[in-house]
Parts: sequence; C-alpha cells; structure tokens
Amino acid sequence: MKSRAECVIIGGGVVGTAIAYYLAKAGMTDCVLVEADYLSSGATGRCGGGIRQQWSTEANTQLAIESVREFSSLSEELDADIEFLQGGYLVLAYTDEDVAQFERNVALQQGLGLDVAILTPDEITDRVVPQLNTDGVRMATYCPSDASANPFLTTRAYADAARRLGVEVELFTPVTRVLTKRGRVTGVETSRGTIRAPLVVNVTGSHSVPIAKTAGVDLPITPYRRQILVTEPLERFFDPMIISFSLGVYFRQVRHGSVIGGFGDPDEPAGFNQTSSLEFLTTMSAKLAFLMPRLRSVKIVRQWGGMYDLTPDAQPILGETDGVDGFFQANGFSGHGFMIAPKVAMLVAQVVAGQKPDLDISRLNARRFTEGPVTTDRSVV
Amino acid sequence: MRITEHPILKFEKGPLVEFEHDGRKLKGHEGESIAAALHAAGVRVLRHSIKLDRPRGFFCAIGRCSSCLMTVDGVPNVMTCVTALSAGMRIETQTGKGIIPDVHFPTPPTDPDYPRDLGNVPLAIVGAGPAGLSAAIAAGQLGVRSVVIDENPVPGGQLIKQTHMFFGSKEHHARVRGIDIGAILVKEIEDLPVDCLTGTTVLGLYPGRMLALLRNGRLHRLTADSVILATGASENMLAFPNSDLPGVYGAGAVQTLMNVDGVAPGKRVLMIGAGNIGLIVSYQLLQAGVEVAAVVEGLPEFGGYHVHAAKIRRAGVPIMTSHTVLRALGTDRVEGAVISKIDGDWRPIEGTEVELDVDTICLAVGLTPNCELASQFGCDEAYVAELGGRVAIHDASLETTVPGVHIAGDASGIEEASTAMLEGRLAGLSAAAKFLHDREMGELTRLRSEAEEGLRALRAGPFGKHARAGKRKMLALASARGGDS
Repeated sequence: MKSRAECVIIGGGVVGTAIAYYLAKAGMTDCVLVEADYLSSGATGRCGGGIRQQWSTEANTQLAIESVREFSSLSEELDADIEFLQGGYLVLAYTDEDVAQFERNVALQQGLGLDVAILTPDEITDRVVPQLNTDGVRMATYCPSDASANPFLTTRAYADAARRLGVEVELFTPVTRVLTKRGRVTGVETSRGTIRAPLVVNVTGSHSVPIAKTAGVDLPITPYRRQILVTEPLERFFDPMIISFSLGVYFRQVRHGSVIGGFGDPDEPAGFNQTSSLEFLTTMSAKLAFLMPRLRSVKIVRQWGGMYDLTPDAQPILGETDGVDGFFQANGFSGHGFMIAPKVAMLVAQVVAGQKPDLDISRLNARRFTEGPVTTDRSVV
Repeated sequence: MRITEHPILKFEKGPLVEFEHDGRKLKGHEGESIAAALHAAGVRVLRHSIKLDRPRGFFCAIGRCSSCLMTVDGVPNVMTCVTALSAGMRIETQTGKGIIPDVHFPTPPTDPDYPRDLGNVPLAIVGAGPAGLSAAIAAGQLGVRSVVIDENPVPGGQLIKQTHMFFGSKEHHARVRGIDIGAILVKEIEDLPVDCLTGTTVLGLYPGRMLALLRNGRLHRLTADSVILATGASENMLAFPNSDLPGVYGAGAVQTLMNVDGVAPGKRVLMIGAGNIGLIVSYQLLQAGVEVAAVVEGLPEFGGYHVHAAKIRRAGVPIMTSHTVLRALGTDRVEGAVISKIDGDWRPIEGTEVELDVDTICLAVGLTPNCELASQFGCDEAYVAELGGRVAIHDASLETTVPGVHIAGDASGIEEASTAMLEGRLAGLSAAAKFLHDREMGELTRLRSEAEEGLRALRAGPFGKHARAGKRKMLALASARGGDS
C-alpha cells in the first residue's frame, strides 16, 4: 500500500469508485481508494438498482436526467456490462395528496424535457404492466426512459476502470482516523498504515459520520435500516420499476429474471442495523402479492437489510468541508445514491480536482443545514 | 426400474395413481417424490438449464441443487425431488427460467394469525437426523422440552437410508443397521417431552432466537430459549466434462432413490470415491440388484473401512485407486464414462484411458457442512479443511459464538453417524444446562464427561485423524474468541 498519494477516497461503493475513476480520467491518477470490507459491501450492494428521473424539484430532476445520460453509455465507457436497462418507472398514486403532487411533478419534469406522462389505471394495464392490480390506484406517472442497472457490476466496472488508469484499490482496509493539521487534511490512518494525502474524500454512507468525527466534523446523517427481498428467477414479464410513495414500496424484475423489491417501514428506529426481520418478509410479500397477484406462486429466495444514510432534507452532502481544507464529503445519499452516482461522482471529482463543476452543487454542501431551513424532495421511498 | 426384491428392505408405497408428464399418462405411487415416480417410469431429463439449455436430471434428492425443477400444475421451479406425487398432477419438463401462470389468484381472506405463532419452547433443534434426535433425547431425559424440526417427511435423517450394520461399542448401537438405529431413536423420543415437526423447513433464524418455519405451505414462527443446529451436510460435486448429464448422481441421492423410494438408479453404475460412503453405497447397489462396474479413487489408497471394501471385492467389483473419471459420455443421459490412471500430481496419464459401459455415475466425493442457518444467525465461522469446509466456530460444549445457539453432527464438521449421535447428546446436555437446578448439575457433568469420553474413543485411531485435527483447530479458534473451552 502506498504511504503517500495525491488523493485518498474512503469507501468502495458506487460513488467512491466512480469518484476515483473520474479523478483518474481527469489526470489525477495518484489516488488510493480504501474500503473497509469488499467492493459494494455497504448500501450500494444492498440497494434495488433503480435509476429514476422523476423528482419533485428542478435541481434533482436535472441531476437525475444527467445521470441517466451517463448511465446509458457507461457499459461502453467502462468496457463492462452493467446490465443497464431502460424499462421505465411506473409511480402509482393512491391518495389525493399523491395526485396533486404528481400533477405538479409532471409539469415540472416535462418542462425539463423528460418523457413522462400521466396514465389512468386502464392505461397502466393496457400499455405498461397488464399483470398489475390497480385496485385503489388513482393514476400513475410513467417515464419510459427511467432505468435500472446492476449495482455490483457498476461498482466493479468503475473500480476496474480506475485501476486501469493507475488508481490503487485497497480492500479490507478500514480507516481509523482522518488526519488533520491546522485546519487542513493531511491523510488517513488505516488498519494497514498511514497514507499521507492533501485531499481526502469521505464516501462511506452511514459510516461517514464516525469517520468525519475523527476530523472534528459533525455530519447531520442518521442511519436507518431498509430491507429488500428477491425471488427465484422467472422469464421476463414486466419491464418497469413499480413504486408507490404512499405504500412505501418498490419492485422490479432484474436482468436474470428475479423480482427484487423492498419497502421503507415508517416505524423503523434509527441506528445501524443490517439484520433481516420476519415482519418485513411477511409484510413485503403481502404487498407484492396485492400489487401483482401472479407473484403469489413465486418463491422468495433471499432477504437482507441495508442502511439509508438519511439527511434532514433527504439530499446528499457534497463538496468541501468548512474548517478542514482538503476534506470532501460525498455521503448522506438518503437511499438514492446509486441512481445519481455517475453524475454526482463526476461533479465531486471536478470539485476535488479544483475545477468548476458542470452543474452547481454548492446547494448540496453541508453548510446548508446551518444556514436556514431546507426543503425536502417528496419523491423519496 | 422399481426394486421388487431386496434382502433387507420392504417398500411400503401409497396407492398407484395416474399423472401426466408432458401430455403422456404415467403411473406412480401417491406420496412418493415426483422425481422418483418419473425415474421409475424411465424419465431422466427433468429440465433444461437456463443458460446453455443442457439437459438436467435428478441429482441431490434432498431439495438443494435445483437440478430437478419442473413445472407442476402450471407452477414453475417446483423441486420435484421433495414434492409428493398426487393423483392427476400435470408435470412438465421445464425449459429456461419458468413462466408464472396467468391465472386469476383470488385475494385470500386476511388472516390475523399470520404467521401462525407456535409460541416459545425451551429448546428448538433443527434437523431430526442422528445428532438432532440424540440431542432431543439427552435434553428430554433431563426433563427439558424440545421441538425437533426437519424438512423431510420422516425423522431419522440419513439413517433411514443405511442398510449396513454400525461398528463401535454396544451403547453406540454397534451391530445394528442404520435404518433400525433411526427407528430406535424415533421410538425413544415418543416417551419424552419432544415434539417432532417433520415436513417443516426452517426458513431462517431471526433476532430473539425466532425461527421462521414453512409447514404445509404456511409460515409459522417459533421462539426458543436455546437452539441446536443439527442440519447435516450436503454432497460435494466433482467437475468433469458432462458431469451435469442426467445419470450423474450424488451418493446420498442414489441411497434415497433405491433405499427409500425403492427405485433402481440404473443398470450399471460407476462409483467415484472409495471412502466409506462410496464403498457402502456400492454394496447397497449390489443389494438392490444393480451392477457396479468399478469404484474409482484418486488417492493411492482407499479411505474407507476394509470390511466394506472386502464385501464389494468379494462380489467382483474392482476398486481402482490412483484413478479418476475423465468425462461422462452421452447426450441426454449417461451412456458411458471414460476413466484413467492419474499420477502423483493428480494428472491423467495418457494412454491409460478406459471406456466403461455404464448408465449411472455416482459421486461419493465428500460432504460439506450445512452452515447456512448458523451463518444467517451471525455465528462466527471458519474454514477448517479437516472438518469439510466452513463451520460455525464452537467450543467444547458445542456452543457457537452466539450464546444459546449450539451445533452438532455433520454441521459442526464431517464425521459419521456414531459421532453425530454423541455430539448431539453433548449439545443436548449443554443446551439443557440453563434449565436445570443446581442439585442436578452433578449429574449433568457426569453425563457430559461420559459423552465426551465416548467421542474421544470413537475418534481414536487412524480413521479419526481428520476429526481430531479439525476439532483441535476449532477449540483454538473458539478460545481465541473468548469461548469457555
């Protein structure tokens, strides 16, 4: 392992590996990525893999549109199949509140050029998913260019591409301390020794809080468990990710045929907990069987838990850290880090490299939480 | 292909019923596995693989390998080796991943008692094989109530397939056939505070020592103060060209087919592996009237007991050491096999190939402990080659790193049924300790040392070499983690 580098990236999830890749691509190849466990062992490898552009604020929608653009050419750029599929997202509305919000969302999204439309329940079953049970569904929004990809393959593709450009990837190497001196970052201390570096990026999801703390930085991130299950593989019979904010549910059929889906339990207590619960298994199966009755005869093969790193406005914390020069944050993705990873990583890499980013991300700096009230995007599961 | 005469076994079968296979009417016995009924009717190809469309047949016979997935009454991916046949079933060869039927599933009435709550038991034991049943007996004799859970339709584990007599001393059921030992253990639990839930799969262990059970297609839950994992082992596979052809079976599957279902696996068998399982199953094949072409063994010496080797040699079966199988022949089923001599580095020696005319290849190439539940429950694990693979780290009282969770039998390291029974006993006694009064501790200590002494005796001698080494490593690992060993 190197003892000196230009930049250390902490965290081998999709965003960390992508930042390493974009830094190296921009010429900063003297980077080390350190990961406490294996690649995508955290939130990335536990997520549903959806890539959605339907958001309720202009900034988020813009970022998501740009990310889909990056994702669509990523297999080619990284020279590895990431199972990118533009199967669309079908967002179901069940309540008056849903309907009012979705109408506003669609107006905003269409204004930004997104191919999104409102469908009646009949149009849903006639045109998109005949197998869906539309009982109680008021309407849906459908964006056919929304997508999905395989989080493991995407992370590995970024890591391999970064390695090819000269980045060193050190696995099973937990960071014990971020080193600082007189308001500047000087490197990281790991289980395998110290790496001196003038630039350090903290991309460790729920672990970002204790890691930032070692440099005296407090991040307003709360970990919450979310759970997912996956079924046996079946021949493809539906394309879109189907989600409902009011039911808190999402599910899709992945490339090899399994249906993967999860829901957010509103009563989930805060805290780091990656265990599985039987309640989730029974509740989620009931929701799936309700939404798509033909899934009743399908066997569930696995379930698991993963962490959301939730911020007060459910938006990520990106960019430099006030008080510790050279220390950057890319965390607090609040459950939608995978879907915006390519564009966000590219922008963060630009900031780290001292360039002006293509899109202004200063609104997502941690200092927003000390400057006044924040607005929450409502399109979060 | 049904075995009509057997020197030891009698097959009690359900009534003959008609079912449909790919549009053809066939007959089988109600209650036997679909895969066994099809095998008896001469059907070898059960599905085609997802990626390469390769024919797949019967392989493990215990619902583990997915080689036998078929479409049954319109539902794809049904494990036909563990699904009972009933009259009028519509069974189809599955190609690809399976398509879920486009039928109207009515919304079931809401069930407030879902999953069904089976309450709390002092001791839950997963697996009703020799280890699990012995654990239940040991705890039960001390008055500790237990529930034994097993996915198979009858208790006894692999004992129900063993027609040979066991060795050892009298208290370890020496000179009794495996099938009869199983029956003895089952009889013993009848008079004890033990409930046996067969046909019940433990889907998972959840926090609070809650077990999720699948029983009669319904989810149940059960919490336990202590858990013993006696989940046994799975068979190892051997990679060689065409090793996935129908007609290549695990030794356990061959035992299930011929000794439980009464169906001959084929006419002429090549046995791979001359450890005890390979030798014993070869003899069982001869008992069932099946020809054994040869037993091949990669090592220069065979690993099993000489008594077993002598029995099959007397019947004219060659045991070919320093040999391996190069490939299976055939397109839709095994039609032959090529074996060859190997050198000291396990490389085939050119010019020594021999083609054998066989229709079945039986793999007896070792077992791997079933560690899934322990793993899922967060027990620390370690790979210990002498124990057969990844095993939950356990101390001398067979407790894992999760307090209240014990492990016994093949799941704690591959040995054989006699040691499994004693380990089960020891785990049962250890798990019972917390329910006993202080005045009963003396008796408990005595019983535990008796079981430990028995294990030492069984593991003495050259055949216990691996087990001794493996268990030594395990104790070192446990004490490094602050175990009480």
